[in-house]
Amino acid sequence: MTLTAPKPTSAAARRKNVATQREIQIKKRYIARLRRGDLLETIVYFSVAIVLALFLADGGATYFLSLKDVTTGIGIVTGLVGSDLMLIMLILAARIPVIDRTFGHDKALAVHRKLGKPVLYLILAHMFLLMIGYGIAQGLNPIAEAIDMIVNQQDMSIAFIATGLLIAVVVTSLVIVRRKLSYEFWYIVHLLSYGAILLALPHQFTQGMMFAEGTWARWYWMALYVGALASITIFRVIIPVASSLRHDLRVSSVDIEAPGVVSVTMTGRDINALRAQGGQFFTWRFWAPNMWWDAHPYSLSAHPDGRSLRITVRDLGKGSARLLSLKPGTRVSFEGPYGIFTDASRTTKKAVFVGAGIGITPIRAILESSDLDPLEATVILRGSDAQDVYLWQETYDLCVEKSASLRVLVGHRPKGVNTWLSAEAYSKGESLLTLAPQIKNSDLYICGPTPWTDLVVRDAKRLGLQDHQIHAERFDF
Amino acid sequence: MRARSAFFAGMGSAAIIAVGWQAGVGTLVSALPESQASASGTSNSVSTGTSATTSNSSNTTDSSAAAPAAATAPVASGPADGTYDGSVVNTRFGTVQVQAVISGGKITDVIAVKLTDADRKSIQISQQVAPMVRSEVLTAQSAHVANISGGTYTTQAYLQSLQSALDAAGFTG
Repeated sequence: MTLTAPKPTSAAARRKNVATQREIQIKKRYIARLRRGDLLETIVYFSVAIVLALFLADGGATYFLSLKDVTTGIGIVTGLVGSDLMLIMLILAARIPVIDRTFGHDKALAVHRKLGKPVLYLILAHMFLLMIGYGIAQGLNPIAEAIDMIVNQQDMSIAFIATGLLIAVVVTSLVIVRRKLSYEFWYIVHLLSYGAILLALPHQFTQGMMFAEGTWARWYWMALYVGALASITIFRVIIPVASSLRHDLRVSSVDIEAPGVVSVTMTGRDINALRAQGGQFFTWRFWAPNMWWDAHPYSLSAHPDGRSLRITVRDLGKGSARLLSLKPGTRVSFEGPYGIFTDASRTTKKAVFVGAGIGITPIRAILESSDLDPLEATVILRGSDAQDVYLWQETYDLCVEKSASLRVLVGHRPKGVNTWLSAEAYSKGESLLTLAPQIKNSDLYICGPTPWTDLVVRDAKRLGLQDHQIHAERFDF
Repeated sequence: MRARSAFFAGMGSAAIIAVGWQAGVGTLVSALPESQASASGTSNSVSTGTSATTSNSSNTTDSSAAAPAAATAPVASGPADGTYDGSVVNTRFGTVQVQAVISGGKITDVIAVKLTDADRKSIQISQQVAPMVRSEVLTAQSAHVANISGGTYTTQAYLQSLQSALDAAGFTG
């Protein structure tokens, strides 16, 4: 079904002029974001370069003059680079606003995950190479050397414990293992990484002398450690707590949208100050019995109106099912808003929104908060049956208001075909291009289950859309 | 990251590393002749003061045994020949004391009685740094020589102890 509003009749020339100005504005915003991204990435490269430079300036190159010292030299370098990258990982997980605004919280975490294994390998290499290198210097085999380190050297026993913690964190984070463990268990083990960092700190003073007085290295490492730990404390603890207290958010109504789908509306003080955008998500914690210890990330399902925030949740997990029992007045604390699945990340004038099932929630909200002229937006919704298309009436009304084209594809996917379309649409020969003819010059926002999302992204790339035009929010994290 | 930015990030990183390398060259240069010197068997007595196993030198020169002619009155022409004890200097990495051997109005040797030995890393640094400082001192004929980076504590304490020995000898360089 297609729905199109009548063409606007007002002064076409003036509208065209305004449109190009908007185009320039969007382009400028996009370039600024690219620049910021490049700058932040450059800082990461520089941080590693500075570590190597400080090592060399301190006479590190002398380790490479004789063969017996090379093991020790590489062992020291791997430890230094490993520590540097570990602190970068911490900073990436700290949800610092500028990083979130530039790359998006999900991309920052993807890089964080990507660094996990290399960092562990660097730290293990550091440990084993120094066991060998110092062992040679002392005439001990590496195992005897390790025992000697633990027994005789200051702070080395806790440094070994730190390595053990680090292994536990990385192993529990590996996707395969993570699926077998509960999220809560993974989370608690993940907290051990702070323990690992703190336990590793003393031996860096006493053995490595990274902090030796009167050296540049001291200032560099102090700044990095203080910066990383402070950003975690500020952005993951202090600001969320302060913001929750300030806005004093409470559940105002709980509405059933469809069987198993519930909307929770919350009101609070000074909601505008949050500067939340449709398409963003918060991590919510409801202070009700059996719920307060469990925080969940849910996207907003409506653009904030300055007084209230609304989420719409399908009972995919036990946490979601309990939402039905929420009573009005329940206190809500939150972290956020997070994410750049928003109008702010648009790079072109037009937009195509594709949502499946409960994936409609951020799609509906971002459509509501987007700055779009009539006929500039296309909305494509997927559901396996008519009941699976949620917030349908609201979305329809929004499309009328914005003169957006709306396509709804209901029904199961065709058997044996790798497509994101319904069997009916597939047999009719529909595709992204027939559903949204403007797509090549548009930004594409997709939200749905990951395998389905990947298929939409695949089709978009086949049509020639660039990476920056594609915004995918995957909701099963 | 865009190609141009990646290029600048790469060049910038290379430049940072190059600066670090350049700053470290001093230690590299002073390390080179010294490794040859120690290979040819110059006396570089290093006492680690602990039971650490890697002391590659001749045994500790005990201060009482090695100071037979300590502090005879200096002759007008210059300091008297002899071995002069330096003061004991404490650092957070251990105690440092050296002796200056004066012969014919020149510093002919510096003997390390005790060097930083708080942990094995300090011992390693001592063993690496002390011969370098010694050769610099013998060349310069003074305790005013450049700091050996990577061993700042050891160098400074070494030179401080040496200066007091030279003062005791009335050695003015």
